[in-house]
Amino acid sequence: MSGFADLLQVLVSGASVGSVYALVALGLVLLYRTTRILNFAHGDLGVLGTFVAYTLLRQLDLPFGLSFLLALAAAGAIGGLVYLLLVRPAKNQSELGLLILTLGLALALGGLDALLFGTDNKVVPTLVADRIVRLGGASLSLVSLVTAAFGVVLMLALWALLGFTKLGVAMRAVAQREDVAEAMGLPVKRVLVATWAASAVLAAAAALLFAPTTLLNPTMMLDPLSKGFVAAVIGGMNSLPGAVVGGYLLGVLELLVGIYVSLEFKASFAFLVVVLVLVLRPHGLLGRAEVKRV
Amino acid sequence: MLFRERYEHDLWLIRGSQAWVAAGVAGLFLLALPFLFKGYVVYNFTLFFVYALVALSLSVLVGLTGQVSLGHAGFLAAGAYAQAVLVSQGVPFLLALPLTIALVALLGVVIGVPALRLEGPYLAIATLGFGLAIQQILNNWRLVGASTGMLVERPVLFGVDLYGDTPYYYLVLAVAGVTTWALFNLERSHVGRAFRATRDADLAAQMSGIGLARYKTLAFVISAGVAGLAGALYGPLIGYITPESFNLLLSIKFLLMTIVGGLGFLPGALLGAGFITGLDVWLSTFRSWSQLVFGVVVIAIMMLEPAGLYGRWLKIKRFWKSWPL
Repeated sequence: MSGFADLLQVLVSGASVGSVYALVALGLVLLYRTTRILNFAHGDLGVLGTFVAYTLLRQLDLPFGLSFLLALAAAGAIGGLVYLLLVRPAKNQSELGLLILTLGLALALGGLDALLFGTDNKVVPTLVADRIVRLGGASLSLVSLVTAAFGVVLMLALWALLGFTKLGVAMRAVAQREDVAEAMGLPVKRVLVATWAASAVLAAAAALLFAPTTLLNPTMMLDPLSKGFVAAVIGGMNSLPGAVVGGYLLGVLELLVGIYVSLEFKASFAFLVVVLVLVLRPHGLLGRAEVKRV
Repeated sequence: MLFRERYEHDLWLIRGSQAWVAAGVAGLFLLALPFLFKGYVVYNFTLFFVYALVALSLSVLVGLTGQVSLGHAGFLAAGAYAQAVLVSQGVPFLLALPLTIALVALLGVVIGVPALRLEGPYLAIATLGFGLAIQQILNNWRLVGASTGMLVERPVLFGVDLYGDTPYYYLVLAVAGVTTWALFNLERSHVGRAFRATRDADLAAQMSGIGLARYKTLAFVISAGVAGLAGALYGPLIGYITPESFNLLLSIKFLLMTIVGGLGFLPGALLGAGFITGLDVWLSTFRSWSQLVFGVVVIAIMMLEPAGLYGRWLKIKRFWKSWPL
């Protein structure tokens, strides 16, 4: 096999893992830049959505695409409810207090999943039947191609939502200055519900794409969530393009390290990257430092 | 004593006769505990002392200086492993303790210096990464037993074998008591005030002559050192340490202790450590429900009481003292 084919193969499988990381990171960043909440329940929201899809598929025998869409909708609804029922009425509105709230939520959701669906591993079918595609001498897995493509489609959809719709403009306004947005007559509460919902949809999409490559269980998203955080921090917590760049960069680099350096080192590599990037650029690659007023 | 009316009130560690009585009763209770309860309770109280040390160390870092850490299980692991390796190399236990503290404090410098440039979510994720990285390094390090871990024996001090739960309880009580007293003193010293100044207004603190870099790093060093000491006591307590026992969930629990107890109050860290340890022990009887209940309790506290358990206690105290105003 030629060097080019090797490289192509690594790039595609890296992009497939990377698109999961990027989707997780996008959801985290979308929420963080609007609400300043570091959401540790993000992974568990995604897992809950995947369990919904699994139940619809297996118990009700719904077609794959329909249960996929219904699961995304359910995740969005749950995300919105989390904001309305837990985050908004919480008396501790400090950044750290809300972080702890989401940690509690992550534990509670994980426990709920285990009670409702059990801790055993479940097989989730893939979007398409997996087969090997030969392209320029490289053997590529069709599933990883589709995963990468699907990730890109979702990202484009988010970009269109934020850039070209009224809701998207309102989200950006609330992210910049919540009080001014409120004073200008924007329905801030509804915008925040929508942000939570959109973030939860991204979480569920990431989990649904990730589930076939591993097996569905309540702790499935632990690793992608920590890598998603890493990707978000590398890219910059307030930059959406940064989250995408960080996700794909991490996916490809991690795979290269696994191949050329050592498999044992692969897991801790992400955190080495975080430290290196942050020492050089404390606000991530594409993030901007917040200017403090005195 | 409701209000501090004189300068001396600010200096006293224990304020008023009632507080002295309460502290005395608590002290006597802890001293008499092994005679009142069975080994299981004694063991859990020893575990509580160790966790309280970590919660206090985290309270100094997060509560006093405002630097968040999601990787304190990493410092605990470093302490436990350093002590275990030193003792297995023939270093006596009493010498291994200060050596462990020094080593882990040095690790605190290594983490604290790059942390100077980070804040908010960046620091949270970087420390989270540190905790996971320590766990994975230990997992792949053959010298310390890799994933199978290490056996740690309880020491023999001055001819007294501390193998039993009761003698070891007294050792941990003594070390934890002295450390707690030292940290409470640190809080009311000029160092503690400098910590709080950097947390509340870093620019103003800098203009008043407080070296930000110095004090922020110092907070990391002190916090790491105390957590390392806790680790050195933790290893012999549980007898067998594996990388898996210092996972992310433990780091999260330490952060929960400081914040559920009351952020910024050292007594709050003690309360929080007691509360979370007790909750853990109590919930272990629930089995599959335990995680759900644990999460719900944490959510409830965050939703209902912003100042944590200690803040609620202060409010109750104020209410009764000033009643019927």
